[in-house]
Amino acid sequence: MNLDNDLKRAMRRESPPAGFAERVMQRCGAADSAAAAEVGGPTRRRPIWWRAAAASVTLAVVLGGYAVHRQREGERAREQVLRAMSIASEKVAYAQQQVRDIGSH
Amino acid sequence: MTAIVPEAVDAGALPRAQSGDHDAFAEIIEQHEAMVFSLAYHFFNDRGRAEEIAQDVFLQLYRNLGMIESDAHLLFWLRQVTTRRCIDLTRRSRLKAVSLEDAGELRSIERHSDAFLDRRLRAFIEQLPDIQRAVVTLRYQEDLDPSDICRIVDLPVNTVKSHLHRALQSLRRKLGERP
Repeated sequence: MNLDNDLKRAMRRESPPAGFAERVMQRCGAADSAAAAEVGGPTRRRPIWWRAAAASVTLAVVLGGYAVHRQREGERAREQVLRAMSIASEKVAYAQQQVRDIGSH
Repeated sequence: MTAIVPEAVDAGALPRAQSGDHDAFAEIIEQHEAMVFSLAYHFFNDRGRAEEIAQDVFLQLYRNLGMIESDAHLLFWLRQVTTRRCIDLTRRSRLKAVSLEDAGELRSIERHSDAFLDRRLRAFIEQLPDIQRAVVTLRYQEDLDPSDICRIVDLPVNTVKSHLHRALQSLRRKLGERP
């Protein structure tokens, strides 16, 4: 027995089942169609610079809106404090007037 | 030793396929399908699995056709990608190679014919560790020297020789021969 010869015979090339090339070509066609749909379809991916710019603009709008919102809230709080101080001042003046009136009698 | 080279080839098939000619790509498949299919078949001893792997390899070739530089590079690329895919699949699916010593039930089978011996040999080869299987397949199916095999499996040539030697020793032991 010659193992080298036996191995060469046992491991000779064999053809795949009939229609193999056609089946591969079908898969290649399907891969092409999928790639074309990804490139030209509605879900196509935009370039990275475009997505980065869009993200920057969105972030700027959100941060700007938040800053305006904070500023308005601050102004409203300031007005409330001033109004409260004004009311308190009126009350104090009224109390002082009452004390003076009592003292004069 | 002379390695198996592709049969008479339409010299223009590769550039035509690279320029988008599907008929030329089909020619390339028909030219190399037996080689790719057989590498996977002799690795797994399973025709269904071999076809699946061979289809995947040609689909990968289709997607990477632009990087193939020549017919010789194409042949090398197909051998390398098929072999590596077989090894990766074995490792990923954790198909633990059974040692030949564990496959005792096959030892007692007597030789009756070449076809029977072929089946025995393929069954024994299927049980070799994955790298030994790849080396034996490339050596005996593709008639490659260790110096060619080492480039495909990306191992030093002495390591390839060692794997080949150990694989043959195991096969001889299983077949009841003296090493």
